[in-house]
Amino acid sequence: MTRLLRRLHYLLNRRRLDNELAEEMEFHREMAAKSGGMPMGDALRLREDSREAWGWTWIDRLGQDLRYSFRMMRTSPGFSFAAVLVLGIGIGATVAAFSAFNMIVLRKLPIRDPDTILRFQRQGPKEFWSDVPYTHTVFYREHAKTLSTVLALTSARLVVEEDEKSPITYFVTSDFLSELGASARVGRIFTAADDGPQAPPVVVLGHGFWQSRFAGDPLVVGKTIHLNGKTATIIGVAAQEFSGLGADAPGFWAMIGQHPYFVHGSEITTDFTGQRNSGVVMWGRLCPGATAAGAETELATLAAQLRQAHPDDVWEGERLPSEPGGYAQNVGSTNRGSDRPPSLRTRLYPIFGLVGALVLLIFAVACGNLGSLLLARGAARQREMSIRVSVGAGAGRLIRQLFTESLVLAAMGSIVGLVLGSVVLRVILVWTDAPAWLDPSPDARVVFFALAVGCAAAIFFGLTPALHIAKQKARMTFGRTFLIGAQVASSCVLLIVAGLLIRAFDRVTSSSPGFEYQHVISIDPDLGSHGYSPARARTYIDDLRSRLLATPGVESVGVSSTPPLGGSRIMASVEVEGRQLDIYIHQVDASYLSTMKIPIVRGRDLAPGDTRSILVSESMARRRWPNEDALGKPFSTGSVDEDGKPIDFTVVGVAGSARSLALKDPEAVEMYRLVGENGFAGVTLLVRTAGAPETLTSVAMKAAKALDPEITPRVQLLKTLFRQNVRDVERSAFAVTALGVIALLVACLGIVGLVAYAVSQRTKEIGIRMALGAEPTHILTSLAHQFQRTVVVGLIVGVAGAAALSQALRRELYGLSTLDPVSYIAAVTLFIFVVGLAALLPARKALRVDPLTALRCD
Amino acid sequence: MRTLSMPKNEMPSGALVLLILRVLRSGPLHGYAIAQRIHQLSSDALRVEEGSLYPALQKILLNGWVTANWGISETNRKVRFYKITRDGLKQLESEMTDYDRQTRAIQAILRTA
Repeated sequence: MTRLLRRLHYLLNRRRLDNELAEEMEFHREMAAKSGGMPMGDALRLREDSREAWGWTWIDRLGQDLRYSFRMMRTSPGFSFAAVLVLGIGIGATVAAFSAFNMIVLRKLPIRDPDTILRFQRQGPKEFWSDVPYTHTVFYREHAKTLSTVLALTSARLVVEEDEKSPITYFVTSDFLSELGASARVGRIFTAADDGPQAPPVVVLGHGFWQSRFAGDPLVVGKTIHLNGKTATIIGVAAQEFSGLGADAPGFWAMIGQHPYFVHGSEITTDFTGQRNSGVVMWGRLCPGATAAGAETELATLAAQLRQAHPDDVWEGERLPSEPGGYAQNVGSTNRGSDRPPSLRTRLYPIFGLVGALVLLIFAVACGNLGSLLLARGAARQREMSIRVSVGAGAGRLIRQLFTESLVLAAMGSIVGLVLGSVVLRVILVWTDAPAWLDPSPDARVVFFALAVGCAAAIFFGLTPALHIAKQKARMTFGRTFLIGAQVASSCVLLIVAGLLIRAFDRVTSSSPGFEYQHVISIDPDLGSHGYSPARARTYIDDLRSRLLATPGVESVGVSSTPPLGGSRIMASVEVEGRQLDIYIHQVDASYLSTMKIPIVRGRDLAPGDTRSILVSESMARRRWPNEDALGKPFSTGSVDEDGKPIDFTVVGVAGSARSLALKDPEAVEMYRLVGENGFAGVTLLVRTAGAPETLTSVAMKAAKALDPEITPRVQLLKTLFRQNVRDVERSAFAVTALGVIALLVACLGIVGLVAYAVSQRTKEIGIRMALGAEPTHILTSLAHQFQRTVVVGLIVGVAGAAALSQALRRELYGLSTLDPVSYIAAVTLFIFVVGLAALLPARKALRVDPLTALRCD
Repeated sequence: MRTLSMPKNEMPSGALVLLILRVLRSGPLHGYAIAQRIHQLSSDALRVEEGSLYPALQKILLNGWVTANWGISETNRKVRFYKITRDGLKQLESEMTDYDRQTRAIQAILRTA
């Protein structure tokens, strides 16, 4: 310890101590000279040897190297900027990916004591449910000794007042918020007194919803609000940083005991079967000293006890396996099956693997580019190196110097990458409406990761050139050529796909989707989940329809079980000449097509009572009966009637193609049939208005309420839904374009490096040719010739790759045509132009070479 | 990585440390005097050069076996005097015991083998 302190003393005072040592050794020499001894060796060198004992000489050398590195960076700011930028992009991509991984898998949720929260699921010999009936959790809560409490959560979408959007409401146990350490931003959170059917109904607002719906008004606390038409008092707003244990950011927190009050027909507090929508997600808080295994054993015993009272509802040998509850990866998601499904974590790993591979590719390309840039510059520095060798620098010292330069670049790249990465992640989170508590800001782990990646980068891009340069030989390797080809290909793919996306986006926004959405309101009463029988639902729909038709401003009313842009879809597959054709099946009423303004191209529209007739879209007629007339053709979707016999339909008309369920898929085909008697509990009404639809939403809501005050339908404007759909394409087009531009930039820098290197290698030859009177264009051509093949092969691979990728993307992206020549030609032209420019920049230098200098050089 | 050629009548640095500590036990000395004393006491057989004396002294200083203080030399020059510390005495003691044991062992082998 004291030795360490003394060493530090030497470090801090090493200048003074060095002077003292010099003085002392000078004295020694004088004395030795007087007594006739011969002073030996170089004084400076002897002193350095003595200083070596202090163990700090490396700091002096490092200081020298660093000073020299910074001087080198200042002398070529263009190179330094390019290098730091390329590296920053490469490191930034890996940092963004790692931050996401860190945020979702490694970080704990911002709740109190996340380590002692366990999530429990049901495992029987034959069945697995990730949800537990609420009544069971109440029993476990009362009897478990290893768990200090049992928390339960279920969610529902409740209509707020008469809003278009219905946010998620989380129904939780009364201690849920306090147990997880939630605090109230305004007002208070739940207490035990709020629970139970007798307590006055109260809700706590989620922070995000409070901001968007109430503009963050603190006076909202104490006011009443209507959820599904039921009155409740707002008692507070949850703090923004509180995550809860679910994946979404809920609009409301409510008491699970009041679930039946808000949700008509809910049996959650009484049902033991778990079949009637009464399952909840269950967590437990371990008592101090208790273990997860202990809790599982106890719960298995309790389940056996519960089985004695409810032999049908608790499985024989039921266990409740646990998993850590305090991580973002374990939130939410419920499913039931015969076996335990892979956890979210294992389902996420392939995605992270894919993303990881992609960012590593970007990183590798960035390192490779930087390597060739450094090598090119190394060739230009050969003279400097030979001078340094001749004054006595060893190869080790040179490598150390060059490597320090790389390390400095890498450190700066790490900083840029860290900033870029967290900005990118933040943008992604905002775009995907991620909950506010997901914190993308880099923690120590991410910072360490960025630095480690920077060091790895320094080794990858810096060491080989350093070795080459120090040994004063450099070769153009096959690997480097391959790298350039790969870069050309990958940036070409990205550019073409970006072009396709921009064109597709243009088409979506400028062309008609085949139906008219500007003046349509959709009204979804969700009769099925309110316990309506098909017959009663039919009456309700008919009544509501006639009431709406009587309203001034309403032009027509249609009905569909899969309303346009609504998200739900019914599909059937048929085989046509060996290829599978996926058909979107619309179950509608006779006035649906006229309401949506979908034209009838041939034949006639559906009429009431046409139970065996169908309409097909033009696209379907073309695909199913190519070169034939679709009218009058029989068709079967495989559906059966009441007697179990397959229904044969007849095509009575051909409608215009309208991608109302799949805006993204230009090849979607549609079929329309009348909704059956049994289907009315699941239909949505579509109302065409003469004027602006906004004015009629509240009228529509009132009409529905007058029919059945228990039902608060979701009323939405189709144009809002359309805008949301378009925004998604806009964003993906932007993201891919940005990626393409970055890839192009990185590829350009790689080509600049390569050409600069080639030019520096051929300076002598160019000089001779110039002296002999060669035309500058000839020289440029011969330079370009060297890279022609690489670039052309890269381009071909890139175009093929883009074609393949666009095939895969077609389904996900609106109107993406796989063979859009304009996109391809534009992308390739842009690419060649930019790459040509990149090659010309260093080549120009070659033309300015003075023949005399060129000949003199080595 | 520089290599320093070592004159033949030099000794390994472990032994040099032992000798330095031993001559300092009789009283503080400056660097040149240490070299002189070793030279004299060995009847001119051992010569300690600057190139090995000063690195060894730095190492000893760093280990806290001696302290250095500025004083005036016999020739009226400002110079550093090295004085052995209690740690240094302990170190000398143990190194001497080790050295004794080793030489006895070596001699035993030389005599009997």
